[in-house]
Amino acid sequence: MSKEIQNRKFKGGSKYVLDEELAKIVNISIALEMPLLLKGEPGTGKTMLAHAIAEALQMRLIVLNVKSSMKLIDALYQYDTLTRLNDSRFGDSKRDVSNIEDYIKMGKIGQSFASDERVVLLIDEIDKADTDFQDDMLDVLDQMEFDIIEIDKTVKAQNRPVIVITSNAKKDLSDPFLGRCNFHHIAFPEPDMMRKIVEVHFSGIDKELLDSAVRTFYRLREIKGIEKKPATRELINWIRALRSDPDFRVKDLVKGEVPFLGILYKKSPDYAVAQNAVGRFRA
Amino acid sequence: MFVDFFYLLKKVGIPVSPTSFLRLQKALNMGLVNSVDDFYTAARSILVKSERYFDLYDQVFAHRFQGVELKEPEAIEISEVARALLEEWLKNPRELADLLGIKEEDLSKLTPEELLQYFLDRLKEQTEAHHGGKKWIGTGGTSPVGHSGYHPGGMRVGGVSRNKSAVKVAMERRYRDYSQEGPLTESQMGEALKRLRNMVPHGPKDRVNIDETIYETMKNAGEIEIVFDQSLRDRLKVILAIDNGGWSMDPYIGLVQTLFNYARAQFKELKTFFFHNTIYDYLWEDPQRRSKPFPLDELPRLDPETRFIIIGDASMAPYELLSTDGSIYVGERSGKPSYMRLEFIAKTFPHSVWINPVPPVEWAYTRTILHIQEIFPMFELTLDGLEKAVSHIMRKN
Repeated sequence: MSKEIQNRKFKGGSKYVLDEELAKIVNISIALEMPLLLKGEPGTGKTMLAHAIAEALQMRLIVLNVKSSMKLIDALYQYDTLTRLNDSRFGDSKRDVSNIEDYIKMGKIGQSFASDERVVLLIDEIDKADTDFQDDMLDVLDQMEFDIIEIDKTVKAQNRPVIVITSNAKKDLSDPFLGRCNFHHIAFPEPDMMRKIVEVHFSGIDKELLDSAVRTFYRLREIKGIEKKPATRELINWIRALRSDPDFRVKDLVKGEVPFLGILYKKSPDYAVAQNAVGRFRA
Repeated sequence: MFVDFFYLLKKVGIPVSPTSFLRLQKALNMGLVNSVDDFYTAARSILVKSERYFDLYDQVFAHRFQGVELKEPEAIEISEVARALLEEWLKNPRELADLLGIKEEDLSKLTPEELLQYFLDRLKEQTEAHHGGKKWIGTGGTSPVGHSGYHPGGMRVGGVSRNKSAVKVAMERRYRDYSQEGPLTESQMGEALKRLRNMVPHGPKDRVNIDETIYETMKNAGEIEIVFDQSLRDRLKVILAIDNGGWSMDPYIGLVQTLFNYARAQFKELKTFFFHNTIYDYLWEDPQRRSKPFPLDELPRLDPETRFIIIGDASMAPYELLSTDGSIYVGERSGKPSYMRLEFIAKTFPHSVWINPVPPVEWAYTRTILHIQEIFPMFELTLDGLEKAVSHIMRKN
């Protein structure tokens, strides 16, 4: 790793409001070359952080969206047998059928290893995959290399990527996994922080609207018996809706009316409960 | 001084590993930590791997670095803790040898006592080196991390840009809600119940896995090789029996019911029944336990693979459980005492559990709890207990 890159420190992106504590943790993880595991409620900006790091350090971002059915090999490389079969029959491509390497496609982790520059690798929602996947993946990330069995070749990372892993689960991941990561839990932002986040997304937003919208939002989050509480993403969309509605007046919010409740609550039982509770706001 | 901070963490029950401690030392050596504030965040992200322990960490940190009263102030027997630690560590001699920087063969020559001494010496050495060498703690100033260096777009530090010291922040105990002792919330329970959904793929292997089939066929030089997978459709049947009679259950009924209802879509079938204190001849489909009785003798007609979950405090007068006419309802006079009825349920549904909101320390003092524990595996109604209960009923046998 060149000195210049090592000296790069992460200080936030243009659309991301960074908490100082988190900045330190990111920098320590980069320096120690350890994956950073982020946990926290949906909507606390776990995924956004990786985007912000990539932007701030001017590195390319590679995103691996983990799916429950995913196997580790899919994240590393793919041997495109179907194309090869097709080529061998019709022979109208430029690929060399006898060379298997022409049919190996890199997966996301593979790409991050093969890249000439140092990249940010975001492994999103790791909790969706099973424990074996998680442990095996960390082995690969630890050793920074993997084998392509079909062509008996080892892919080594040219530059150790900056790795950010996110997880929504409240359940803990396996011990060996945790042992190899740095850990941070992002708490849901406080109202003050939230105001700043909103301001980043809507520059020059009307102060009155901002205050009452955020206040109403936190009041709505207090409602009991909700399965999926509205998060930052919902708030942003909701404010966007409020601003685009010509009939909307900020006074309505103060009075206890909540238009566009469906933007905030997306599950029908939640919506019903929230509507009920909002009815009581007005009383 | 950081050595005993580490042991203190270990002592209060945070699972910190020696590896991570040495990693923290590495971070300190790299000059990444320049103030107590930095140390607070660095040590937490490196040593503590779950937000459930953040609260405990805050308490220990505040205690260690300002002498805030810990709940249980105790002198720390370093060597004793280290010994326990070593034992666990010796299971993996290579890692140990690696960390201490000695060869595995040499390691085996040392007696445990010598090894312990070596380990402690080494830790001490490291601490002293830090004190003499890089100044990495003590100055009250702000950290350079995040304040200088290379960045094109200018930085936005928002919200928690705090003027408070790390110790003060630690004392706020921001993570109390996430700690294990905190109250059970909907989202936590939902998480525990998710396990009930995930583990249901079984049934015949009757689906063609196209990707695998193509792959295997190719490997077979074009000879068709079809690969079958199990279907994922088969879902679980669950019966939930809730004690909605006693006051001790009141705070939980709503919670438990909402959650199982949310999870409903994942189950093939979810039946909810109610009872008061314990079960006699009938379960009730209506919460008032009046209009919709379900005779217990009908239970064997249901699928024995059904997961039977009872939620109740299991606390009552002993005669209610043991006497032949224990029921407070006159209609239930079959002459079978309740404990026989419970045994009947446990036999009918091999996958059954009892979940109890009463904390386990009190279980031994209530006779009926002890008795019911012999019939059903009993778990506490907390996040941990729920997870254990779920994994218990999802066991194959």
